[in-house]
Amino acid sequence: MSLVIEAAGFGVVTAGVVALAAVGFTLQFAITNIFNVAVGSQLTLAAFIAYALNRTGVSIWYAMIAAGLFTGVTSVLLNRMIFQPFLRRGTSFFGLVVVGIALLLIIQFSSQAIWGASFVSYQFNAGGVFKWGPLLLNRTSLILLGIAAGTMVAVHLLLTYTRFGKSMRATAADPELASSCGIRIQLVTDATWFLAGMLSGLGGVAFGMTLGAFSVSMGSTFLVIIVAAAILGGVGQAYGAMLGALVVGIATEETSLLVSSAYSQVAAFIILILVLVVRPEGILPGVARYRGIAT
Amino acid sequence: MNWGFFATTVIIYVVTSLIAAWGLDLQFGSTGVLNFSFIIFVAAGAYTAAILTLGSPSGPGNVAQQQYFAGATLPFPLPWIGAMVVGGILGLLVGLVALKRLRGDYEAIVMLVVSLMALYIVLSDVGFLNGASGLALIPSPLQSGGNLTGGTGYGWFYSGLTVVVGVIVGFVMHRLMESPLGRALRAVRENERAAEAMGRNTAALRLLVFALGGSLGALSGAILVGFINAWSPGAWGFAETFLLFAAVIVGGQGNLVGVAVGAFIIFGLIIQGVLFLPQIGGDSALTECLQWITAGLLILLSMWLRPQGIIPERRRRLSRWIAPARRKRNGSGLLRWR
Repeated sequence: MSLVIEAAGFGVVTAGVVALAAVGFTLQFAITNIFNVAVGSQLTLAAFIAYALNRTGVSIWYAMIAAGLFTGVTSVLLNRMIFQPFLRRGTSFFGLVVVGIALLLIIQFSSQAIWGASFVSYQFNAGGVFKWGPLLLNRTSLILLGIAAGTMVAVHLLLTYTRFGKSMRATAADPELASSCGIRIQLVTDATWFLAGMLSGLGGVAFGMTLGAFSVSMGSTFLVIIVAAAILGGVGQAYGAMLGALVVGIATEETSLLVSSAYSQVAAFIILILVLVVRPEGILPGVARYRGIAT
Repeated sequence: MNWGFFATTVIIYVVTSLIAAWGLDLQFGSTGVLNFSFIIFVAAGAYTAAILTLGSPSGPGNVAQQQYFAGATLPFPLPWIGAMVVGGILGLLVGLVALKRLRGDYEAIVMLVVSLMALYIVLSDVGFLNGASGLALIPSPLQSGGNLTGGTGYGWFYSGLTVVVGVIVGFVMHRLMESPLGRALRAVRENERAAEAMGRNTAALRLLVFALGGSLGALSGAILVGFINAWSPGAWGFAETFLLFAAVIVGGQGNLVGVAVGAFIIFGLIIQGVLFLPQIGGDSALTECLQWITAGLLILLSMWLRPQGIIPERRRRLSRWIAPARRKRNGSGLLRWR
């Protein structure tokens, strides 16, 4: 039993890492209506940029912030230079997924061309192990958990208590109405892409840290978990993504304990299939319903 | 440089990819389903053909001690037919997920996840299909019969066989697309509600397309595995699906000839063609990355310049009766209505 609780502890840490990227992914979808499939390759790139910095002696935490900022800025550029021109040219949202795939291939294989396909790991001190009842977590995990929890609180405060958060929610609910109420859609969109990119960049580096060793193929693994968390929670819902991440994180860790570590990703898959069959709009269906995602 | 080997390799790769691309186009170009898990059908076909020729895993033929769950030694056309049946059944299963009336792009993401998960299952469960090392020493069909004993002679024979199968598939696809069934599929793509109102069972049509496309993908995998004699998860990463998509989008979705042109460009020129050039900087891993980046750039360019493809879908007769605004709509819905 104590092993189960211990695995749940790891699960919460995984959940924190997943939640970072999943909240970014889902917020960005809610506001722009674009599924950014390239997010998996973007966070791989972030993880490798942090790796390059870390190798020159920069502390992993500073490298993480730098990679987050880099991914945020590139996300804004991707949107401004690729997605928006395609939208203006009349490409459907369906077609934009294909555009996203092309970007995924370009980013993923550019990273592979630069850093190769072999496994790398960060240099950092994992810190002492803290024991709290049956829970067993090292200092790095606690810091990652703190970053994730802090980010979630910050996103919550941003969305509920600030004027800007309100305009983001208004844009998500009805862009045209928001625009006619004087909300600067372009600014909100840019800020959203930046926030989403930054969160997924942080998530990518954090994922690299929890994995220990990672390669360019981590992007596709992580993409599945992010999508599973986002869809489970109800796509487009920030709180849903947090909830989904918690379920997926704990489920993957418990599966590695109770079944086999090889099957931990399969747990995410089973959750996803179950959700799609039973309730395709997810736990919190608001955005999925009015966007016509699932009827 | 062995030109005979080069030529047969390119022919077999292009034609098998073309068969798969036609299957994908049946789903994507003709019916408007964005199936990002297509490569798992190719893989299912290859694995099925492999275990149906390798023989029982506990038998004396298994000198390499490969692990797989079952096997048989069937005479030539049966492994290919078995592969098509398995591909069709898998298509029905995956198609059930697609019946949930999800929005196109959402469905696409779900399919992408299905593709990745199939990969994880095969990688995790080594006893199923030999995990990451995959199956090797798969016999080529008809090799022991007659005096075809491998080498370039057999290569030419096999590429001839592949081309014959490709022509048959192309003919069947052509007849299918011109038939009332083909029209019904295009109706599902253009306006599913309207197709339903006209009395078409759109759920059944979507399932049918999943099964047909799946079995074509499986046939392609089965033919390919008979030539390369090995199959492992490295051959069907989720990104491989997008090479097929690239062929369909660049060539022209909804047009059989267009897809053939696309398959030649992507698989003949970019993927196979450069393999026999002097390696860039002597680095084959870098060449591979550059191929993928080129494919990505080609998709972007073609989505920007010519989203309908090099040879667009032919405008059907009677379409002048359809309101001009509708006619502008591009085949598989890559463009919005304007």
